[in-house]
Amino acid sequence: MNCSTNTPAKRRYMWRLAVTGLLYILFLVLAVWVFVHHHPTGPLAWLLALLPALAIIGQIAAFGLYLAEEKDEFQVAIGVQSMLWGIGGTLAVTVVWGFLESFVHLRHLNLILVYPLFCILCGIVSGLLHLRYR
Amino acid sequence: MKNRLRVLRAERDWSQADLAQRLEVSRQSVNAIETGKFDPSLPLAFKLARLFETTIEAIFTDESQG
Repeated sequence: MNCSTNTPAKRRYMWRLAVTGLLYILFLVLAVWVFVHHHPTGPLAWLLALLPALAIIGQIAAFGLYLAEEKDEFQVAIGVQSMLWGIGGTLAVTVVWGFLESFVHLRHLNLILVYPLFCILCGIVSGLLHLRYR
Repeated sequence: MKNRLRVLRAERDWSQADLAQRLEVSRQSVNAIETGKFDPSLPLAFKLARLFETTIEAIFTDESQG
């Protein structure tokens, strides 16, 4: 039994997040190193380019698993609310940026930045919700 | 939704953490339900009713009904 917000499902989620985060760093370093030193082409280049993305997909899957495994329905509600605000905020920022980029030639937004933006927004909202309900 | 959780807890001299432990949820969840910021699901409402040996209606009041 546990009466803190650190539920067993949340602990498993944090562990999966750490593992996929570590894999992301390893895959990214590996991909950059191989591209800089060996200039791969063809299927190997595709595979190397996709490796860091696979780790990020793993993080998204880890969050989905957390929502499925969490027994505390209030914590699930906070997770879902954070995710919805994160998705909404990310869509709003990227669509505004897209129009500005098209019409007033604002600097190009690299799509790699979309996921970190989503995570930052989710984190901010999650923090605010935990403050509200503490 | 209004509820009598605080009173029921006080009658048993339970803290929010005590109730959370008995319900197997976080203390934050108990606080959110108690302050009316979060409405529990039907299974959790039944669990509360069983724990306090009463009915769901005796714990929660539907504010939309006069």
